[in-house]
Amino acid sequence: MDLIYALIAGVAMGALIQRVRASSPAMIARNLRLENLSIIKFMATTIAVGTILVYGMSLFTTMHFDIKPTYVVGVLVGGLIFGVGFGLGGYCPGTCVVGAGEGRKDALWAILGGVVGALIFAVVFDSMITPLLKLADYGKITLADVLHLPAFGVALGLGALFLGIVYLLPTEVKKA
Amino acid sequence: MANPATQAPPIAAGESSRMPAWASLGAIFGVVSALSILTFGPIGVSGTYPRFVGAILRRIDPAYALGNPYLEKMGSLIKPETMLVVGLLIGGFLASRLGKREQAHTEFIHAGETTKGKRYRDAFLGGLLIVFGARIAGGCTSGHIISGITQLSISGLIFAAGVFATGIMTAKLMQKGGR
Repeated sequence: MDLIYALIAGVAMGALIQRVRASSPAMIARNLRLENLSIIKFMATTIAVGTILVYGMSLFTTMHFDIKPTYVVGVLVGGLIFGVGFGLGGYCPGTCVVGAGEGRKDALWAILGGVVGALIFAVVFDSMITPLLKLADYGKITLADVLHLPAFGVALGLGALFLGIVYLLPTEVKKA
Repeated sequence: MANPATQAPPIAAGESSRMPAWASLGAIFGVVSALSILTFGPIGVSGTYPRFVGAILRRIDPAYALGNPYLEKMGSLIKPETMLVVGLLIGGFLASRLGKREQAHTEFIHAGETTKGKRYRDAFLGGLLIVFGARIAGGCTSGHIISGITQLSISGLIFAAGVFATGIMTAKLMQKGGR
């Protein structure tokens, strides 16, 4: 049953990404150049609505939370490498799959690059990556743990903050 | 969505009475992401790449695949995440074909991308780096940024800060010489 739910979520996610133009590398490049902020605002809206909903629902039922561990150095280094690839290709691991569904040829090259990247990673993991994952590892911590506040309250606060920021930010940024 | 008006209405620059696309689509995505955590777990994409590599290697070189600790750790492709990725392909196809049909084409996004070959090179290298980086961090845009920050995880916030720092720098640097 999980597999079917995941397939439905994937189809919805793919359609949303296509419609908001997040699968367009040119649109991603415009966002990263801070010329147009629509994708950044889309993501912030998703997170704001999502966080309020999940922690709201968690008051009434069990949720399938899965918090990723905070090994500070590895997460940051991974993010920095990811950012270079994101700026270079204009795709992330999901949007290139959506782009391939749309019929974009460069998306197929991005997917191939991703497969090669995963292969290299698997080869060097044991010797080069494992040590990185042990540096400054704080485990599965959340903002609520750090602030010592109830999660739903933090979710409401973060959600309101994100919605406030996207409301105030322009979508098309005029050149000064 | 967005019924094509015969004449573009003269709306003063800014928001019309309707919600902008990023807001309505973002809100729907937020509901999808929340329902995923309710039903099976947080959405995430990048782990499927090494699982796919593992599935192939187990066929062509089973001894190596079984001896590789990372491929063993990631396990088989029979996981909700794999179905999510299949869904992305279908969703992208359907959304681009239904309604207003806009032919997706290969876009040049940097000054240096003067030929399709150079665009494919950037897409390939970009794809390699995003998956390699995501696997170090343990997640990508969906797993760390969307699902991660939705669950209020500190790792998602750190990952997002790293991604936007070098992402903005790279996109701006590569624009030089063009336009």
